[in-house]
Amino acid sequence: MRNYIIRRILFIIPILIGITFISFLLINLNTSDPAEVALRVNEITPTDEAVAAMREELGLDKPFFERYIIWLGNSLRFDFGNSYINNKSVSDEMLSALPATLYLAAIALMMILGISIVAGILCAIFEDSIGDKTIRGIIFVGTAMPNFWVGLLLMWLFAVKLDMFPTSGMSGFSSVILPAATLSLSYISIYTRLIRNNMVQNKNENYVLYTRVRGLKNWTVTKHIFRNSIQSSITALGMSIPKLIAGTVIVENIFAWPGIGRLCVSAIFNRDYPIIQAYIVMMALLFVVCNLIVDIISASLDPRIRRTT
Amino acid sequence: MKYNKIIVMILVLALSFSIVGCSTSTTETSGEMNGEKTQLVYASTKDIRDINPHAYSGEMAAQNMVFESLVINTEDGVKPWLAENWEISEDGKTYTFKLRKDVKFTDGEVFTAAAAKMNIDAVMNNFERHAWLELVNQIDHVDIVDEFTIDLVLKNPYYPTLSELALTRPFRFISPNSFIDGNTKDGVNGYIGTGPWVLSEHKENQYAIFTANESYWGEKAKLSAVKWQVMPDHQTILLALEKGEIDLLFGADGDMIDLDSFKALEDRGEYVTVMSEPIASRAILLNSNKQITGDIKVREALQYAIDKEAIAEGILNGSESVADTLLSPTVPYCNVDLEKRSYDIDKASKLLDAAGWTLGNDGYRYKDGAKMEITIYYNSDNSQERTISEYMQDNFKNAGVSLNIVGEEKQAFLDRQKTGEFDLQYSLSWGTPYDPQSYVSSWRIPAHGDYQAQVGLEKKTWLDEMIGNVMIETDENRRQEMYNEILTYIHDASAYIPLTYSRTKAVYGPSLRGVGFNVSQYEIPFENMYFQQ
Repeated sequence: MRNYIIRRILFIIPILIGITFISFLLINLNTSDPAEVALRVNEITPTDEAVAAMREELGLDKPFFERYIIWLGNSLRFDFGNSYINNKSVSDEMLSALPATLYLAAIALMMILGISIVAGILCAIFEDSIGDKTIRGIIFVGTAMPNFWVGLLLMWLFAVKLDMFPTSGMSGFSSVILPAATLSLSYISIYTRLIRNNMVQNKNENYVLYTRVRGLKNWTVTKHIFRNSIQSSITALGMSIPKLIAGTVIVENIFAWPGIGRLCVSAIFNRDYPIIQAYIVMMALLFVVCNLIVDIISASLDPRIRRTT
Repeated sequence: MKYNKIIVMILVLALSFSIVGCSTSTTETSGEMNGEKTQLVYASTKDIRDINPHAYSGEMAAQNMVFESLVINTEDGVKPWLAENWEISEDGKTYTFKLRKDVKFTDGEVFTAAAAKMNIDAVMNNFERHAWLELVNQIDHVDIVDEFTIDLVLKNPYYPTLSELALTRPFRFISPNSFIDGNTKDGVNGYIGTGPWVLSEHKENQYAIFTANESYWGEKAKLSAVKWQVMPDHQTILLALEKGEIDLLFGADGDMIDLDSFKALEDRGEYVTVMSEPIASRAILLNSNKQITGDIKVREALQYAIDKEAIAEGILNGSESVADTLLSPTVPYCNVDLEKRSYDIDKASKLLDAAGWTLGNDGYRYKDGAKMEITIYYNSDNSQERTISEYMQDNFKNAGVSLNIVGEEKQAFLDRQKTGEFDLQYSLSWGTPYDPQSYVSSWRIPAHGDYQAQVGLEKKTWLDEMIGNVMIETDENRRQEMYNEILTYIHDASAYIPLTYSRTKAVYGPSLRGVGFNVSQYEIPFENMYFQQ
């Protein structure tokens, strides 16, 4: 097991190098000259001399590979350079925006767990009842509606009409409810369905029949079914966590949430490459690490996986 | 049992996330009002950012709240402000300013001649950043005459000196204590000004609170505070207005309020909606350096092919007035008698026939086998420009001209302006008080779309020289004559299709009073506003 983990961790290194190289390359393929953009954002007329001076200042006069190596070396020390726009340290900018995003994602995750488990179990117990069909109907609609639209609808209903929450901004616990609900909606749909279907399948297994024969209480039986049904959900959840964090972009803009999603969007519009690169690295790291954790958990459950990889 | 472990792991992970989350202490919005309302909440799509008055990364409206200038632009011309009066030498090269003696920065520092010189020197030390403003190129140096008098010495008798000194940036004054190593170009260590507002709190990307300056030398602000709330999404802003979380929307060119929403709010009658006088010119650049639009007859024909009336009424909901000339006759020096060119499809067709473009069977014109096909580029963020383009496409089709429409992301759009790779492109002037002098002056800079569109004009060299000369012409009448020549040439050369004159718009609840407009569309006069039931 230890060898497996070490092997997997070592494997992260080439993956990250690959990701950073490709992202660096793609960003550099962009037709806009970053030096010129940096000037223009600060309302400086981009004359040839000014552009040349800025290229030197930003280190853009060096060849591509040299730039990449320098950037890679610095980023190993969590030094992602300074923003082209406001000259602040990218790491500081990211770190100051990250907690807001993690907070939002954590609350959304709790909503997903709480609601989908309860709804999934209820649907499985009362399979094909009106309640089950209603919940599945709502889920179907929930998955189909785009984030930004749901966000605005929730805002209109709960903030404006019912006056229960503030429309936007980060001010106290009540302000996180609407963005977290918007963010979690499509995931709730996925997990409710997953849990329900697995439980419905498990219901017909022999062990369930056996527990019933033993005369165990209904609730105890359900507990056993549930335990045996959530494995696939847990694997999926492991990958949903980074997706939740990366998926806050639209929600953060609608709800004026001061997180990294908004930071990244404005960086893209301003061609603020150091921030975009740092964001890509951070998200890549998040996905790779979460993936690793899920794999390790799966491997610890199933020895076959350890041998085959 | 194994599942239990997994559940515990997940819960620990979730908990650790929530702990991190909770540690970002959630700040309750301060200054919520009980009883009488004295704090105004203004919604902006952008954060105020770095409001160093000698730099360009901050929001101008916020810079204007804290920092003041020697003189100000008003509808009746330039008026004294931090300088109580001024004298101009015979040769027009030396401006002597007598400063007010009762002005203090909010850190207690007195606004003296030394402080004034230090600020102007700091701007001049960062010359390249301010090169867009001709005054910076014209200033030679500043002399301190006595404790409250300075001489501003110019290289040439540059006539727009006073009005450019009054602009929102860069010639505003920050406390000498905020300087870093005697300069401001690498940032400042505080935003201490002399203005009616003090920046008392700033949460980046969330909000900024400006409180009234208690020791202000002039008429104090009527509100106790202004909260600048950042809301990146337009729909959110509208919902927040409906809920009463925000009190004021204010902006120009669809930046804060798009026209459909403006119209909808107006129709509902629950809000007061007001518009300023026409401020800036919306026009279309016709690239004289391109194959098809390089022909003056074609450019002239296109002037007649657009139904501006329909654009102003149908697309812009009557919120902008039709422009017959590039600059509105209300702009200084721009009341020039120029031929009005209204929608006249027959005339457009005749001109195109005369230019050798004959109508083919498919309804489009051809010349030497080549189809008359031109492309307009717009910033894809701007839905209004897209709609106008589509309307123009239809207009042009009636004249046998095929118009392609390409929406591009803002940076790509700006890159195209600089390289001149366009047939048609949108252009918006900066509005008063930048028009006409700063706007016309920018035509000489290759990085501007205006320059690129004009570079194919027969008399472009003459035009640039003329612009350079008019800026340093001391005789008022001669200056007017020169502007007449410049504006007449650019009108006759049909380098622009003037569309409309844009206006600044404001939307607010009926209890807010005193909402007005400054001469510049980038400033918001918060100090005159107050609430009254």
